[in-house]
Amino acid sequence: MIQSVLFAGVGHLAQSGSGCLGPNGTSITGLCTSDNSLHMPVAYRSILPMLVLFIGALVLLLVSALLSKRSRPGLYPVLSTAVGLAALVASVWEWYDVGNRGVSTIGGQIFYDRFSVFFGVVVSVTVVLASLVSDSYLRREGLDGVEAYALILLAGTGAVLMAEAAGLIMLFLGLEIMSIALYVMAAYHRRRTESGEAGFKYFILGSFSSAIFLYGVALTYGATGSTRFQDIAGYLARNTLVHDGVLLAGMALLIVGLGFKVAAVPFHFWTPDVYQGSPTPFTGYMAALAKAAGFAGLLRTLTGALSSQQANWRPVIWLIAVLTLLIGSVMAIAQRDLKRMMAYSSISQAGYVLVGLQAGSAAGTAGSLFYLFTYAFVIVGTFAVLGLIQGPGEARNDLGAIRGLARRRPGLAMAMLVFLLAQAGVPLTSGFLAKFYVIEASVQRGQYPLAIIAMLAAAIAAFFYLRIALLMYAGEGEAAGPAPALEPAGGGAEAAGEAAGEAFVADGALTAGLQPVPSLDGATATLTWEPPPEERIAIPPAVAATLAICVVFTIAAGVSSPIIDFARHATAMI
Amino acid sequence: MTAALLAAATGSGAHLAHASAWAVFGVGAALILTGAFGVVLLRNPVHSALMLVITLIGVALEFIDESADFLAAVQIIVYAGAIVILFLFVIMFLAVDRREPAAPEPTRAQRPLAVLLGLVALAELLILSRVQHWSSGAHHVAGSLKGGEDVQKLGESIFTRYLLPFEMTAALLVIAVVAAVVLSRRHGRVAAEMSPAEQEEATLR
Amino acid sequence: MEQYLPIVLLLALVVGFSVASAIGSRLLAPKRRTGAKEGPYESGIVPRYSPAARFPVRFYLVAMIFIIFDIEVVFLYPWAVMYRQLWTFGLAEMAAFAIVVFIAFAYLVSNGALDWGPRQRTGGRPPADLARSTAATVRRVPRPEELIERAGPEPRPLEPDGAPGGAPPRQAQPA
Repeated sequence: MIQSVLFAGVGHLAQSGSGCLGPNGTSITGLCTSDNSLHMPVAYRSILPMLVLFIGALVLLLVSALLSKRSRPGLYPVLSTAVGLAALVASVWEWYDVGNRGVSTIGGQIFYDRFSVFFGVVVSVTVVLASLVSDSYLRREGLDGVEAYALILLAGTGAVLMAEAAGLIMLFLGLEIMSIALYVMAAYHRRRTESGEAGFKYFILGSFSSAIFLYGVALTYGATGSTRFQDIAGYLARNTLVHDGVLLAGMALLIVGLGFKVAAVPFHFWTPDVYQGSPTPFTGYMAALAKAAGFAGLLRTLTGALSSQQANWRPVIWLIAVLTLLIGSVMAIAQRDLKRMMAYSSISQAGYVLVGLQAGSAAGTAGSLFYLFTYAFVIVGTFAVLGLIQGPGEARNDLGAIRGLARRRPGLAMAMLVFLLAQAGVPLTSGFLAKFYVIEASVQRGQYPLAIIAMLAAAIAAFFYLRIALLMYAGEGEAAGPAPALEPAGGGAEAAGEAAGEAFVADGALTAGLQPVPSLDGATATLTWEPPPEERIAIPPAVAATLAICVVFTIAAGVSSPIIDFARHATAMI
Repeated sequence: MTAALLAAATGSGAHLAHASAWAVFGVGAALILTGAFGVVLLRNPVHSALMLVITLIGVALEFIDESADFLAAVQIIVYAGAIVILFLFVIMFLAVDRREPAAPEPTRAQRPLAVLLGLVALAELLILSRVQHWSSGAHHVAGSLKGGEDVQKLGESIFTRYLLPFEMTAALLVIAVVAAVVLSRRHGRVAAEMSPAEQEEATLR
Repeated sequence: MEQYLPIVLLLALVVGFSVASAIGSRLLAPKRRTGAKEGPYESGIVPRYSPAARFPVRFYLVAMIFIIFDIEVVFLYPWAVMYRQLWTFGLAEMAAFAIVVFIAFAYLVSNGALDWGPRQRTGGRPPADLARSTAATVRRVPRPEELIERAGPEPRPLEPDGAPGGAPPRQAQPA
């Protein structure tokens, strides 16, 4: 049966092909038209960063196929970083090339505008940072190989594609490319069961959300007759839908599908497990990339194609934003695992971007873009620090692991402090300005309750950010104590000791005085268990450089304005 | 050619065409149902997977009956070929190619609930089909494609308007390949390259 | 629609032949079943059930090779139909797709997707520990007096879990 089908096709070709050998030959059958060279101009310049990332990934794979195994262990991170830098250069070139105009290219599948280019820059930067950070971690865990970097580049390809998408089909394809690469990255640590579990959970739930998104695409297409953003916007501008059930259902499903990717609250359940289980540098990359690309998709869909439906989607986003802000902040306080805590923190951070989206104005979009750009540096840096202090095999991710970091590694603690303050929204960091811009945009639209809730959430979140910060600097008090602290053994006893330590930290913060270390039962203390303050954390140069970049950027973006101007120019969507 | 001869032999071409269309539909439907029942009822997972092939071939037959040649080809190449092959691979990796004892169901009310939900979904669809007034901008595609023409139209779309999505599908394939390599790799490195602690860990796993 | 009649005829032929051969072989084949014939060996322990046959997951890479080219074929089909109209443009685009798929293929092969034998990658080292012998491998059970002797005068080291030490140290890894 299959053969008959295939032969039917081939037969057609042979039959008609005889009539038109040249490009201008006349046709005998209907298959060859007189002007029979179907051709579509491909504006390669409009997809340059994406092409660079994709071809870079292919080059990496090809190099690994041609070289013998393990001949050049340090080659791949260097190549990957170079590819990321090349994509950055391409993006910057595009920024000046495209100017303030915007066109849809390549068969109307791609938007070439500053919004696209902005995300090209964000993704390229994230790729560079992640490549620099991952190398030492992967070597420490014995996981180094070409696959990690190929996946980083491919996920970046998908993310750029999502931001450039001029239609729901392209958006879905970008979403899948990015997501599937991220699923594999979550499961990358072969010897950690948690990593496999994280990848599996992310894959199952992510596929589910992709299906929901696809259903949304189908319904939106059914309601508007097109999957291209321009056509959808045009149709909705020309027609007023009296019974818009299909469109609303489609819109809701699109919001759910993309809300999952950015970890907005009713769809956030995967986040803590996945962030906790994934290899630490990949967690940072995942947080920065998936949020940026997911919000790019949301902005394109809601403020672009469905801007005429603002009255319908703004209340929904309002609710999601409030839930995301509050639940993310409150749940983070209860966490005892640093990576889990950062997962909830990233959920609450997504809430602020949603506040900017909810404004539905150019100022709100600019605020969201600024937020995403600065957050990429902060979160990659945060997880880089966590990756260093957790020790081989990701042995320690609990809060105790970071205690006394300031004494062991003052520079590292300083960098972490900057990232924490930025996430808490303290002035003179990028986080403050980011929160300020989105809340300002919200206030401009008269959303006072939302603005107040956002500030309340910031206050709640400040509690656990400052707790980590105090824990880092609390070690000095311990060191000044008369005797080295003996850590209790056993799970329950350790938790008790942890609590005691924290109580001590809180006291220290309040009274700024020295208190004796809470006495612990010496009989249960072990001599083999090494107390963490004595460990020496090695900081590889690449990570140090990355942290320096992130810190400098976080502070620079917090005191000067070029980045927000960059974001404001990038709101010029088609 | 055979068909033409047969039609000439029987004399009434139009009548036969009508009857043969029904016959093709009937055969396709019978194949689909046979396969579907086989998938559910057979105990051996490998047999179930093979019955799935029968279902998919039946679906392909129905596609041909509707002049959707390309879909029929995709049905055979992708579903009967790739998907079932993957099923079989997974069945063999997990070594479940034996008669499985009926496992206790995790949720007791699973089956009645499934029936109930199915009925609800059916009722919902029927009600929705009666509701006429939801606005929809979808173009009404009328008329049938003659055999072969749909491939042409699809080719035209894929290689012009949807060129970039087509090319980027290759990225998905590359990711699938890298993912397979990453996930199918053995735990850790070769034993000789491991430190004693790692060897210990690998042994315990 | 009469053009589908050959398919129906072919189908009938296929079904008829397979059914006929199945029935025919059942009728014609001599069947004398004995326990010895059914068993896998003529002597030894009669297995109660056949062991599960598991493939190493590495063979999944072979499935991947099949999948990527299978998907490529799906795109080749409309391309072949449209080839004359697309001409060099189509050729270039299809070539780009094929190159990407080929790189994935090369990467798969370099990862041993086609190495079906046992793994030879021991990096120049002998495949097994040369010090391994029966004496080293077979676990030696200490006699009671040895245990007492070992746990005797010297202080036992404290184990991390607080359990008293003195369990006999493992002599060898289980194979």
